[in-house]
Amino acid sequence: MTTIITPITEVLLPQLNVGENITISGYIYTGRDAVLPKIVNLIKLRQLKEYGIYLEGSVIFHTAVSVAGVGPTSSNKFEIESSIPALSAAGVKIHLGKGALSKDTIKALNQYNSVYAVIPPVTALLNSKTLSQKVIAFPELGMEAFHLLEVKDYPAIIAVAHGKSIYDEQK
Amino acid sequence: MMNRNDIIEKVKVALITAGSTFSADKKEVYRKAIERETVPGAKWILETTLQNALVAEKNRSPLCDDSGIPHLFLEVGPNKNITGELIAAIHKGVKEGLRALPGRPMAIKGGDTQRIDQSGGLDFDPGALLSAPILLKPTDEDVLRLHILMHGGGPEIRGKTFRVFHRHKVSVVTEEIIEWAVEASGKLGCSPVTLAIGIGRSHFEATSLMLEAMVFGNHSIQNEIEQEITDRLNKSNIGPLGLGGDTTCLGTFLKVGPQRASGVRIVSMRPCCGIEPRKASIDL
Repeated sequence: MTTIITPITEVLLPQLNVGENITISGYIYTGRDAVLPKIVNLIKLRQLKEYGIYLEGSVIFHTAVSVAGVGPTSSNKFEIESSIPALSAAGVKIHLGKGALSKDTIKALNQYNSVYAVIPPVTALLNSKTLSQKVIAFPELGMEAFHLLEVKDYPAIIAVAHGKSIYDEQK
Repeated sequence: MMNRNDIIEKVKVALITAGSTFSADKKEVYRKAIERETVPGAKWILETTLQNALVAEKNRSPLCDDSGIPHLFLEVGPNKNITGELIAAIHKGVKEGLRALPGRPMAIKGGDTQRIDQSGGLDFDPGALLSAPILLKPTDEDVLRLHILMHGGGPEIRGKTFRVFHRHKVSVVTEEIIEWAVEASGKLGCSPVTLAIGIGRSHFEATSLMLEAMVFGNHSIQNEIEQEITDRLNKSNIGPLGLGGDTTCLGTFLKVGPQRASGVRIVSMRPCCGIEPRKASIDL
């Protein structure tokens, strides 16, 4: 079990391998279908800092944030998966979600020294490990707004790293 | 029949139980799967999912952030009456249960077009989420028994209701179901599944039977067809969350209804995710 504390340094990534269990602590962002394309647009417009968003060494968890808690949505939804290359290029080191990713996305993750980890849909457990939460951008999206969570020991398993996918290995 | 306030309170508590609690047979089937699982990553996911269930039960909090759409199944005994007041009290109890759980606020506002394209925005009140139509079933037992099920979105994406030409062989139907189930489980992302299956004469009837299978199904009681489907699915190596392993399916709940004199059977299959069926029952 590897313990990861955000922000993540570039040197850590080569040490993470497919199938490895990790825990994540520190501050992480959340976003899914509605907001991630908007964040990608902010990257293009160079407006991230105006919103107080710092993606270097960050983690993005593909989830809504509601009174019910948090839990992974499928990362292979078009709006989410298509945002992964640009977010990785901007410094996101771990994309946290569930479901298999395409070959192109696996290649892009490798190109930008980023990984993809699967987090089980264990909302009650995650709620007990979520210390704080606040909206960072696009509050009009409600539970799908871009949030910042402070978390302790979120459990996950590395699913894509260095051009390899756990989903390919099980075939 | 109990008074209105008692019904509301009882329904509210039952909804919270449905959204936060693994049934005894579900806990047991998880424990057995953990013992049996040979792939370390798969075993870890099963252990974490069971741990989540124990935390949710203790805190009476949602098992999953997709807390689900309430589906109601009402058994009606020979001497019991259903009134508009009773139905209204049940709906009020559902509303209060959703607020107390709390459920995820996911009711879409607006008219027909806004509700389709989601342009009307979301209602922030968890209680604004309306339940699906109530399904009634007569029973010989003299009870008015309400079953509450909470249906998440993933299984709805991967579920299927379609015709199967049976060619007068059960195996033709089961092979078709297994083919659907392997594809659905692989894409679901939240395996291990519990397959709920209804076989009837129409799409409505098959879907109703599928819901009934969820209500009365028990992981500890599996007939020959159910066990065969489960065993075959477990050979697929899809595993928990699709990451590979021995545990793709925890059980199959099958309900076969009356059939028509015809070469066709309508089959409804719902691959319930690893925390489903989420259900609770109360006598009113």
